[in-house]
Amino acid sequence: MLSVTGLTKRHPGASRALFNALRFAVGAGEVVALVGESGVGKSTLLNCIAGLEDADAGEIRIGPDALDMHRLDEAARASLRAARIGFVFQAFHVLPTLSVAQNIAVPLLLNRVPSTEHAPRIEALLRRVGLDGFGPRWPASLSGGELQRVAIARALVHRPALILADEPTGNLDPRIAGEVLSLLLEQVREEHAGALIVTHSRHIAECCDRILELSPEGLR
Amino acid sequence: MTRLAWWLVRAQFLSRRTATALSMLAIALGVALGYAIHLINAAALADFSQAMQGIQGEPDAVIVARDSAGHVPHALIDEVARDEAVALVAPVIETRVRLGREANAARLIGIDLFSAAVLMPALLPREGGAGSGGLFDGGLYASQALLESTGLRVPEGTQSAGADTTAIRGESRWETRIAGDLPAVAATERVLVADIAWVQARFGPRQGVSELRVRLMPGVRAEAWRAAWAKRLPPGLDLRAAADNAARISNISRAYRVNLNVLALVALLTGAFLVFATQLTAVAQRSTQFALLGVLGLPPRMRLLQVLFEGLAIGLPGSAIGLALGYALAAAFTRVMGGDLGGGFFVAGTPTVVPEALPALGFFLLGCGASLMGALYPAWLNRVQPLAQALKTGFAQGPADSIGHRAMIRRIALPAIIASIPLLTALPAIDGLPLAGYAAIAMVLVVGIAAAPLATRVAFGAAAKTDLAAPLRIAVQNVIQAPLMAQVAASGLIVSFALTVSMVTMVASFRTALDQWLDAVLPAPHYMRSKGLPLPAELLAALDLPDAPFARVERMATGSLSLDSRRPPAALLVREIDRADPGTRLPFTGPVLAARDGAVTVWVSEALQEMQGLGAGQTLRLPLLGREIEVVVGGVWRDYARQFGAVVMAAEDYRALGGRFEATDLALWPRAGAEEAARRWLAGQAARHGVESVPSDEIRRISLSIFDQSFAVTHALEAAAMLIGLFGLAVTLAASVWLRARELATLAALGFSRAMLARAVVFEGALIALIGLTLGLVSGLAVGAILTEVVNPQAFHWRMPLRVPWAQVVPIALATLVAGMLASRFAARQATRLPAAQVLAGAQ
Repeated sequence: MLSVTGLTKRHPGASRALFNALRFAVGAGEVVALVGESGVGKSTLLNCIAGLEDADAGEIRIGPDALDMHRLDEAARASLRAARIGFVFQAFHVLPTLSVAQNIAVPLLLNRVPSTEHAPRIEALLRRVGLDGFGPRWPASLSGGELQRVAIARALVHRPALILADEPTGNLDPRIAGEVLSLLLEQVREEHAGALIVTHSRHIAECCDRILELSPEGLR
Repeated sequence: MTRLAWWLVRAQFLSRRTATALSMLAIALGVALGYAIHLINAAALADFSQAMQGIQGEPDAVIVARDSAGHVPHALIDEVARDEAVALVAPVIETRVRLGREANAARLIGIDLFSAAVLMPALLPREGGAGSGGLFDGGLYASQALLESTGLRVPEGTQSAGADTTAIRGESRWETRIAGDLPAVAATERVLVADIAWVQARFGPRQGVSELRVRLMPGVRAEAWRAAWAKRLPPGLDLRAAADNAARISNISRAYRVNLNVLALVALLTGAFLVFATQLTAVAQRSTQFALLGVLGLPPRMRLLQVLFEGLAIGLPGSAIGLALGYALAAAFTRVMGGDLGGGFFVAGTPTVVPEALPALGFFLLGCGASLMGALYPAWLNRVQPLAQALKTGFAQGPADSIGHRAMIRRIALPAIIASIPLLTALPAIDGLPLAGYAAIAMVLVVGIAAAPLATRVAFGAAAKTDLAAPLRIAVQNVIQAPLMAQVAASGLIVSFALTVSMVTMVASFRTALDQWLDAVLPAPHYMRSKGLPLPAELLAALDLPDAPFARVERMATGSLSLDSRRPPAALLVREIDRADPGTRLPFTGPVLAARDGAVTVWVSEALQEMQGLGAGQTLRLPLLGREIEVVVGGVWRDYARQFGAVVMAAEDYRALGGRFEATDLALWPRAGAEEAARRWLAGQAARHGVESVPSDEIRRISLSIFDQSFAVTHALEAAAMLIGLFGLAVTLAASVWLRARELATLAALGFSRAMLARAVVFEGALIALIGLTLGLVSGLAVGAILTEVVNPQAFHWRMPLRVPWAQVVPIALATLVAGMLASRFAARQATRLPAAQVLAGAQ
């Protein structure tokens, strides 16, 4: 689902690369944890994979036809992200002015999925994430755990090839965090997507299929 | 995708109802004003053209004397009639008369019945309506408007006689009767029709007619015929197409109309600014949301289009409301005020306003365009927001790669714009319109806004290095560090205060100049006039009697002459004036040359100086008494009464040239101690002869009151502009507080009390208001100078010395500063309501 080859990133003016010639892959249905100390470049790596930042060299291939994100222009990257990637963030990032159902529908709209399919897909996903009947509600009335469930539903609704999650439980208390993590892993595996989860938590990392540790020396 | 766009628009409108509604209203107001001005003017022009066409008919050519004392000689009529290309000639004599003691004069048109039946059927009397004393018996036919105003009755049936009346013009009187009415003449026209021979016998001219209207044979090219005959005519005559008159009226009202349209554009511009402030703050507040949508795959182009779409969603309903409002405004205005927009060009009648599709579409697109223009920069900022950074830290005031562009704009574009301002003000009017002057005003405002960041750094940079109380330090730092938001917040005030200062300056300069001018042109305590008609001979004779209580009387006769056939005629003022010292009666603006013996000297008004490029010492060929006479310009004088120019000539010169001096106006100085007797004498004579008698202080009071009424609308515009500017400040400041929620929450956590946070925000508002007011003042003075020195002379030919009314400007500035601080309290309240712990936890 994700193949990274020779990925190098150097901040302008920096004497050495943030990371150099990284090479790894994430398979279908596989959940990989990305760990490392603060400032080592985990979020930057995630941004490069998503096409939000430019890498200096390397290839990033996502999905069945393995388009190279690194070589696409801005509009094509946006289109590839819309089609192949689902995101889950630490700060939830649920749009406050859209209802829960409308939030989940955003990727469907971006991918021009026929509107007749929206309601069944959204309702099914809401049931799967334990928010049955929450569609018409507004984000302001939801708890942190519920908001993150909405974000997970939104990340999965368009059946992406790859889920990128940046500290998905960082803002949740341990009990809710455990529930949300289990839900995320379960849904990713069920959808046969690949997932790359950036985390500081050893516990979360150990729940994943594989752990990649990023350090100044590279990936281990 | 469209659905997502619509969701976002709806959410945006619901969450920012007031800002959206005000932006929409401002756009609607701009469109409404523009469309209403167009509709009123179009209706007035159509009404005027129709009325004129009714009276003038539809000839292929009109031959007319270039001055009011001239005529088309009989010999020429015969010559034209013999031309094989001519099918018909219709001679017309037109003059003005008063019926009995009726105060208002009427047009008396003498026609030849047979030619008029073909060329001017609207002037024909009602068929079978003539009682005894028909057209050929010297009867008068009156239009409906005249019959209503005079109360004269028409004969009923052929047996009864119409009302007896006397048509009076100066020494000439015509005892006659009303023989019928003129059903086809426009309802607003005060017209009398009589047989041309009767009119000529009573009022002249003996040697010819006023106008010759010509119908050409079928197949003759009218333009070529007119061109050929124009070369053959003697210099005292003009040859025109019938449509020229309507075109001339359209031309003379154009500058005034364009000026009103510019005011409408200013309203539209403030609408665009409100859209700009609303959309920029909306983009800033939703930067994280837009970044999220970008991360989820919304293409950059769509992020740009979304903000433009939101701008359009304000512009579309705003423009539609504006069109409806504009039509309603035009209909109400014409019903109450008639078709005159204040320029005095269409004073009669109540024209019917008809909605027009193409102009409506034009104004609709203009409204939408203004709205899109306002949304353009926020849309671009939204397009170039760095997604990952915006998602984490919110709105970036400008992406890194745009800094280079901004520096380039500052270094190259800004100096170029500044340099263009004096060049633009030096350019002449284009086709009679001060377009370069308007462009210069736009440039001044652009420079004012663009200078805000630099002015902020210069003004507060030094203050930032000094010891300041904590809230003030925070305010100063924020103003310096957030130049874009400060610029947006200040720009509303810069533009609105600049417009206010410029308007106040222009109006004050004009009023002072008008006041001084009235002093100069009204030296006598009393004035008497008969609205363009010669004063009754009896009245003039009474003035010469020993019991007349006047020490001095000066007479003036008014006429007209055409120096340029594309423009309305200039006024000819023949005055009893001291040729050696005309400066005692005329307010000259430059050197006055001594009148030379043997040469006719005239003194021209500033308008003629502007339009004809005249100056003291130049010679000029004036159409006078049916011929061209060489005169010397002895000086240029200021005249705020006659926009299309005036020529003053001494009565003795006019008489020497063979002219008949028939006084129309009198300036009267009562004998010492006989003021009360003079007043009684004048009141008696005015009542007896139906002429006007007004003391000079009354003329001054009425003139200044008309001036104040004409410019009352500018005060409403100033107030609206200031409110919009203050609203922009409040909205932008509130958005800025929202964007800095985390920073303010941190300050709260560090020990800032709510009162200190509120003070910091109010200080920030005050600092921005100070910058806005300072730049607005400088820009406003520059705009005021351009309005006074460039726009007014070019558009209306009025010059006046610049005068800044500090007694008005300073209180307005102080009131705005206080209002700005009060508006900032709205944002300050928001700052103190922030749930600090929640914001710091990043869960807002």
